[in-house]
Amino acid sequence: MKSDLKNLDELSRREFVASAAKACLGVGLLPMAGSYIHTPAQAFQPGPRPAKARHLIYLYMSAGMSHMDTFAPNTDADKDSYQGPISPIPTSADGVFLSENLPETAKHMHNAAIIRTMMTSQGAHAQGTYLMHTSYQMRGTISHPTFGSWVAKMSGPINSTIPMNIAINGRIGSSGFLESKYGPLPIGNPNAGLANSKAADYLDQTRFDGRLAMAQKMNASFLGTYDQKQVRAYTDLYNDAVKLMRSEDLKAFDVASEPDSMKDLYGRTAFGQGCLLARRLVENKVRYIEVNRGGWDTHSNNFESVANNCADLDKGLSALLLDLEMRGLLQDTMIVLVSEFGRTPRINGGNGRDHWPYGFSAFLAGGGVKGGTVYGKMDKIGRNPVDGKFIDPASLNATIGYNMGLPLSDVQYSPSGRPFKVAHDGEPLMDVLNT
Amino acid sequence: MAGMSRYILLFLWLLQGTLVLADEPFRTFTTAKGQSFTARLLSYEGQTFYLEGKDTKLYPVPYNQLSTADQVYLRKAAEELRIPIGDPRKISAEETMEDTPEPEPTEVSGSMEMDDEPRLMAPKKAKPKLRPGSFFSYRPVNLGQDPNLAVDLKSGGAPKPGEPIDFTSHVLPILEDRCTSCHNEPYEKNGRTIQPKAGLALNTYELVMKGNLDDTVVTAGDVEGSYLHEVLTLDEDDDMFMPPKGGPLTPEQIDIIKRWIGEGAKPKGGGAGVADASEGVSFHDHIFPILEERCFDCHGEPYVRSGRTIHPKAGLALDSYEAVLKGNLDGAIIDRGDHEESTLYVVITLDPDDSEIMPPKGDPLSPEEIELFKKWIDEGAKEYPSDVFEKPKEEKATVALTSVADRNVPLVDLLGKRLTKPSKTQIEAASKTGALVTTLSEKHSMIRAEFSEGPSLIDNNSVGALASVQNNISHLDLSRTKVTDSVMGNVRKMKNLTWLGLRNTEITDQAVKQLTDMQFLRYLNLSGTKVSDRAVNDLSKMKDLEEIYLWNSKVSEKGIESLRKALPDAKVIF
Repeated sequence: MKSDLKNLDELSRREFVASAAKACLGVGLLPMAGSYIHTPAQAFQPGPRPAKARHLIYLYMSAGMSHMDTFAPNTDADKDSYQGPISPIPTSADGVFLSENLPETAKHMHNAAIIRTMMTSQGAHAQGTYLMHTSYQMRGTISHPTFGSWVAKMSGPINSTIPMNIAINGRIGSSGFLESKYGPLPIGNPNAGLANSKAADYLDQTRFDGRLAMAQKMNASFLGTYDQKQVRAYTDLYNDAVKLMRSEDLKAFDVASEPDSMKDLYGRTAFGQGCLLARRLVENKVRYIEVNRGGWDTHSNNFESVANNCADLDKGLSALLLDLEMRGLLQDTMIVLVSEFGRTPRINGGNGRDHWPYGFSAFLAGGGVKGGTVYGKMDKIGRNPVDGKFIDPASLNATIGYNMGLPLSDVQYSPSGRPFKVAHDGEPLMDVLNT
Repeated sequence: MAGMSRYILLFLWLLQGTLVLADEPFRTFTTAKGQSFTARLLSYEGQTFYLEGKDTKLYPVPYNQLSTADQVYLRKAAEELRIPIGDPRKISAEETMEDTPEPEPTEVSGSMEMDDEPRLMAPKKAKPKLRPGSFFSYRPVNLGQDPNLAVDLKSGGAPKPGEPIDFTSHVLPILEDRCTSCHNEPYEKNGRTIQPKAGLALNTYELVMKGNLDDTVVTAGDVEGSYLHEVLTLDEDDDMFMPPKGGPLTPEQIDIIKRWIGEGAKPKGGGAGVADASEGVSFHDHIFPILEERCFDCHGEPYVRSGRTIHPKAGLALDSYEAVLKGNLDGAIIDRGDHEESTLYVVITLDPDDSEIMPPKGDPLSPEEIELFKKWIDEGAKEYPSDVFEKPKEEKATVALTSVADRNVPLVDLLGKRLTKPSKTQIEAASKTGALVTTLSEKHSMIRAEFSEGPSLIDNNSVGALASVQNNISHLDLSRTKVTDSVMGNVRKMKNLTWLGLRNTEITDQAVKQLTDMQFLRYLNLSGTKVSDRAVNDLSKMKDLEEIYLWNSKVSEKGIESLRKALPDAKVIF
């Protein structure tokens, strides 16, 4: 356990401490649940265009995934100082090559597109992650909503019982200045399901109802005296939480009910099971699911660490693509895999790669994505695009938002009255989308 | 004598105000956010309802701030005319003012210097709306005058068929009714000069033509280029939509303004009058009057009778140029330049004994009228005499759906264009049994219906509620519900279905059999169902299917093989 913890990058370590505090201090989900749950009043709103994808599974490779060893092997580059020992392999799409670390994913390339000229202005983890998730640079004066929160806010729930923005394996960012109910609901461990959402074993239905009734009785006089919105909201919160507890949709979180063969297909790791949970949530029509995977900060010993990480990534990602396609859900679901930045094409002294915000890769698959496409090509040192233009995080988010039919030009105002948009001023990259 | 009758009128008006409009009882209102209070309803104006609390204080409440149940109550009260229109504080004052001469406005001494001397005239107050057929809706007419003409001149009634639009009698009344409360010439109120909104006054012909600092708002003869027409026809949610309060102008009113601009936006009606048919037939001058006289009874705009919406027969409206060109679900009725291919021409020239002849009642159209239609279509079905007809390209205006793939227009968009967007009430009715019913995008007329919550509670009966929007449904998701084969009776009625999800249901081969004639179906998800090899034959008949999902079904590998052979272009997932 201790050694595992060391392997985590800084961000995940911090998340771990936060989760530990949550567990030890008894800050559970249930008292919070109400704020995530939506009343039918905010029903699903269609966007300005028909949505090509209605669900988004956002696979976030925390801490900077080495693009040259995964989605952008550079065949022209010198092996010793740039490409290293990893060779490219052909994929199911003609003329598209992936690294040999991703043999299973390569079989699904006909459903996927890669942007190889991603560029970010931030070379540090926290700032890069923030920019990638919010489309805005980190500022001391404001907290921007994550893309998932925007999705939740702008299109409303398809399923009103389950929260529609869920973060598996740790939560990054928040709903910012938007209402907190749109923020990500964290699931620390995909196998554990939704924490604190079950009544204790000794509480049977009648006793539970009895306790609720008692609580209501005790509150009655207070409610009578102070019949105000905030006071009633607190009661609603209980009702919503109970609604979720008893809902059959709660089973969506129960990965344990999947057959063993399915669990093995995804791989019995936090990421693999996270992908499996993501698929279950898509079946229950959750709009935005983020699965986080850390451990990519390979400043030293890059090739071994990346190969280890990829074994897990390849299994989970390919299983997700396969499973969604078999169920006919891939057409409606967009899968995006990205990191805050790439890693230096030049190999450093410790056989590792350092942070590289120029020219890294984003992987897009599923509904609305033009399968088998590669956008852009970097020169051999990865400094400038040889083909295509730089795509910044805002434009990546605009591309996703366009595909999901979100109103990109719609302006929301922060409490201080400043205007913000779902993907800042990003322009959707139509080259990777089916129009 | 005249003074006497005026007082009788005044008395009757007050009588109506007090007797017919009985006080509403006190009841509890709840806001959308959950607050509740006790009040009684006094009146309404636009979207604002005036409630009187127990403390006799007046509360103006916006309609959309109240709960759904309250909104129903308010709507009913307004529809049944139980409550008057207007601010109650003003109504009482207005009632006594009725029909008494406006006091002469007095000049305020020591007023500021101004370029334009403000015409000290406040905008006219909105007239009370009277129930159709009410005694007061009749107007006295001078002896010897044509009663219809007198009423038209006074009320801005609809211009008669073929009659050119007159600014004073047709356009100005609309502007005075709906625009001049904001776009009024500068006037004094409480010692301040009230300027027209946006610097645009619409009180007289000269002012309308003058426009404002930005530009003119009317370009004579150019309907599309006239901003005045544009703002009236924008989407109602648009910021620039006019009038901003009290709902849009009626189609007839917009039509009058459109025609007035199209005729050259002249101050006095007529001018040249209706052009002779020998110089070219236009919809506006020649065709519309015939349609109005002979077709509108059945093919007019939808209207509400006894709480039910009556749609035009055959889903075909002929009340505007656009509607005539649009045709109905079966396609266009006009083929520009070719009268023989135009359904409209065909049905009016059938044998009088033919059951299909139009109009079905009364005499057939006269040979002259038929000749007008023929000439109009052959000349390109122009709207105005000044329109220039461009020869249609090789490609016909109406495209058969089979050629969709070549044209790269998504099928659902094409289907959507042939249908009207369902109303909120229809969608509400369809959602009654737990379905989430949404249009594909804001303005799309096609609908996705899905059962996203508690699918185990959904059975065949729940699907029945979708009947109210069945023609608009393009996507139907019944995944994981308890539906059985007999649900297909309802599904088959959704003629424009393109996407059908039956994943993880108890559906069997019987259901697939019933799907074979669904011509627009492209996506069919049968994974996790009891569908077996026996369905392969039926599936093979559906040549237009693009995606078929059979994973986890009872279909064998052999069955899949023969299906893939029968449908080589389809994606068959097993």
